[in-house]
Amino acid sequence: MLPDETVVRTVLSGVTQAEVGTSTLGVVVRVPHADAAASLSALKASDLGFVMLVDLFGTDTGDEIEVTYQLRSFARDEEIYVKCALPYDDVLHSVWNVFASALLPERETAELFGLTLAGHPNPARLLTTEGVAPLLRRSVPIRTLEEVRDR
Amino acid sequence: MSAVSALILPVLAAVGLMLVNGVVLIYMLRKVLGHLHLRLGPTHVGPKGIVQTTADVLKLLSKEDVRPNGADRWMYVLGPVIVFVPSLMAYAAIPFSETLRITRLDTGLLYTFAVLSLVPLGVIMAGWASANKYSLIGALRAAAQQVAYEVPLLLSVLPVVMIAGSLDLGEIVAFQTGVWMGVVPRWFVLLMVPSFVIFMIAALCELNQTPFDMSEAESELVAGFATEYSSMKFGLIFLSEFSNSFVISALAVTLFFGGWTLPFVPESILAPIAPIVFVAKTYAGIFVFMWIRGTLPRVRIDHLMNLGWKWLIPASLVWIMLVGVVMKLAAPGGVG
Amino acid sequence: MIGPRDTEHLVVNIGPQHPSTHGVLRLVAELDGEEIVNVEVSAGYLHRGIEKLGEHRRYHQLGTLMDRGDYLSGIHGELAAALATEQLLEVEVPPKARWLRSLMGEVNRIASHMIWYGTFGLDTGAMGQFLYAMRERETLLDVLESVSGQRMMFNYVRPGGVIADITPDAEQKLRTFLRTIDTYIDEHHALLGGNEIFQKRVRGVGVINREMGLSFGLTGANLRCSGVPYDVRRDKPYAAYGELEFDVPIGSVGDAWDRYLVRMEEMRQAARMIRQCIEGLPEGDVMAKIPKVVRPPAGEVYACVESPRGELGIHLVSDGSDTPYRFHYRAPSLFAVQVLEEILPGTLLADAIMLIGSVDILIGEIDR
Repeated sequence: MLPDETVVRTVLSGVTQAEVGTSTLGVVVRVPHADAAASLSALKASDLGFVMLVDLFGTDTGDEIEVTYQLRSFARDEEIYVKCALPYDDVLHSVWNVFASALLPERETAELFGLTLAGHPNPARLLTTEGVAPLLRRSVPIRTLEEVRDR
Repeated sequence: MSAVSALILPVLAAVGLMLVNGVVLIYMLRKVLGHLHLRLGPTHVGPKGIVQTTADVLKLLSKEDVRPNGADRWMYVLGPVIVFVPSLMAYAAIPFSETLRITRLDTGLLYTFAVLSLVPLGVIMAGWASANKYSLIGALRAAAQQVAYEVPLLLSVLPVVMIAGSLDLGEIVAFQTGVWMGVVPRWFVLLMVPSFVIFMIAALCELNQTPFDMSEAESELVAGFATEYSSMKFGLIFLSEFSNSFVISALAVTLFFGGWTLPFVPESILAPIAPIVFVAKTYAGIFVFMWIRGTLPRVRIDHLMNLGWKWLIPASLVWIMLVGVVMKLAAPGGVG
Repeated sequence: MIGPRDTEHLVVNIGPQHPSTHGVLRLVAELDGEEIVNVEVSAGYLHRGIEKLGEHRRYHQLGTLMDRGDYLSGIHGELAAALATEQLLEVEVPPKARWLRSLMGEVNRIASHMIWYGTFGLDTGAMGQFLYAMRERETLLDVLESVSGQRMMFNYVRPGGVIADITPDAEQKLRTFLRTIDTYIDEHHALLGGNEIFQKRVRGVGVINREMGLSFGLTGANLRCSGVPYDVRRDKPYAAYGELEFDVPIGSVGDAWDRYLVRMEEMRQAARMIRQCIEGLPEGDVMAKIPKVVRPPAGEVYACVESPRGELGIHLVSDGSDTPYRFHYRAPSLFAVQVLEEILPGTLLADAIMLIGSVDILIGEIDR
């Protein structure tokens, strides 16, 4: 189930700052966001055969937005997580050229974490209307109905 | 009876018949579809829910008549009327019995078809004037469908006319009285199976009935050309639909199932109950339409066009030719 | 004469208020006559912020939120949330609870597929079979109501096990159901799949090939139809699926007809599993001993289940407190709906409606 870390390192040898490690989640690769698309296409093209982007989502760590790409290889039945960190209000570069499945999740992530989407064929908001705060940031509170009325 | 009342009474009778028919047929549709779908249909209003339709008519009459802003004012109002009036006119030539009919026309069959083919005109007007994209698509579908299916519908009944030798619906029924060889009714359906099949398919299409309900197609076009209509304008469209299915079913009965006659029943017994026999046969036909409506999925528009142009029209032409050749050979003094 | 430059394309908003967009999906379709030239999927009309709410609820309450995500197969959503929590807590679930999870999961799968089957028929214009599908669903909802007290938002699977044992009444109903289900599925197949008009509409339409399926991240029946034999139940067994015998139906062409056949077969397989679950249900507790308020150690996990619509995954990030730090819900429908933009252009309007039905999407899951 877990891919061999050394093989992953060899595949990602082109990406200089890639850190490969294992956590409770599985094998996690941390790359700079600028190298995300390159790392994903390297993993996709390699013998490891990570042909499917299973999921894409963001996490607000408190200091930055961490974007996670979850890849799956059907040939070897393995999964790998590629993570990259972005500062708040930064630009999220689309990886839809590598994995078309990123199209809608990227729009959702960019919208709900307040990022700007670049290189996307349709970078419009997906779920909410203009002017809604980036809901999934930790700094945006949940209000009760009374609190909204009193505001 | 004065001349004026003699003129007006049949028209009033036709209107009354159409309204009563509409109410009865809507109730019947609900019950038939209900039982086909493991439901009961209406049960609450009146015993067995029989007053449900009346209540609905009252509701339709009392509802606000909404007209969309972008709609073409006159065409929008005229659309349902033009849908409704031909349906009413189509009752004129239908023979309920030897004597009971609104008017006797030598070209009754031709008249009925001509009048019915005006209905899609109203549909196109309604769809165009509604200023709604779904209505527009529905209207254009109706136009395409009309052109494709009017032809096989007419061609399919030509062999019947050729053999009966008349366009008068009464004459066609008269030709079908009695039995062959003592057992087989002289109904055209037994003699002309291909004609009947083509007629049924084309008639379903003419009626905008499932599986050919292109112009309404509720899962695709919401309600097609009728999307923007409310209140009694919608009521008129609705009523016309049911009245058309009565007329088409009555035509099928007249042309293929011996009209008001019954085989093996002597004339003396039949004469008083003839209209009842006719209506019963017609309702049986409508039941078949409803059965089809409750069961089949919808045909796609290009399949529909293919079926009409590539199969039904050539098939009916070939059948007409075959019937013609056989008639010529069998006729006294013919080549045979 | 009208030249090509005198015509223009018609842009139609299919939805959010439309009889066959399965909720409030909106497709902005550009039509050339009846043919679709371009289509854009627009979502968000049912956004309730489930992920944000999850960060402010305790771990036990995640199942309640998940019920509202994929509201047709609540058991699967609850199960994914429970599995993720258990993975963080490293709790062992009693065997009976595992079997009951599989049992109710499969009951829920048939119930959900029956909705798909019914609405798929409605999308193609057939009214007849919808209420026949409801007949079966009714029995199954009775079973689920009997064990959980609810017909839709079950809240039955909790971290540590399930909330209640199967009742004798539910078991009796299931046994009766199992005696008839095969004949009933044959009947459904005859009503819709056996119809020539239907076959002509679905065969060869909306082909999703292997590459397209993988690149758009499809899962579940949609992916299996394009020839990738991936089923979470078999490849990453959870609950009692490791001990159950079942086949994973696979399509070859990837058209709407394949998707229809695969889902029909899935219902048969689900019935087969329910049978095994009832026969082999172990004795014992249905709930492990876990505290009322759980505070899992810090960490990040991913748990997935095979919901009727595909792989339903939960990413949970814990910071050691009693609420999740991040709760992310991988919705299979979100990925399935993207493929519509790819397969719809070139088809007719009628096909578009049919294809929305054939990929089996659910708006509650897309918008979350």
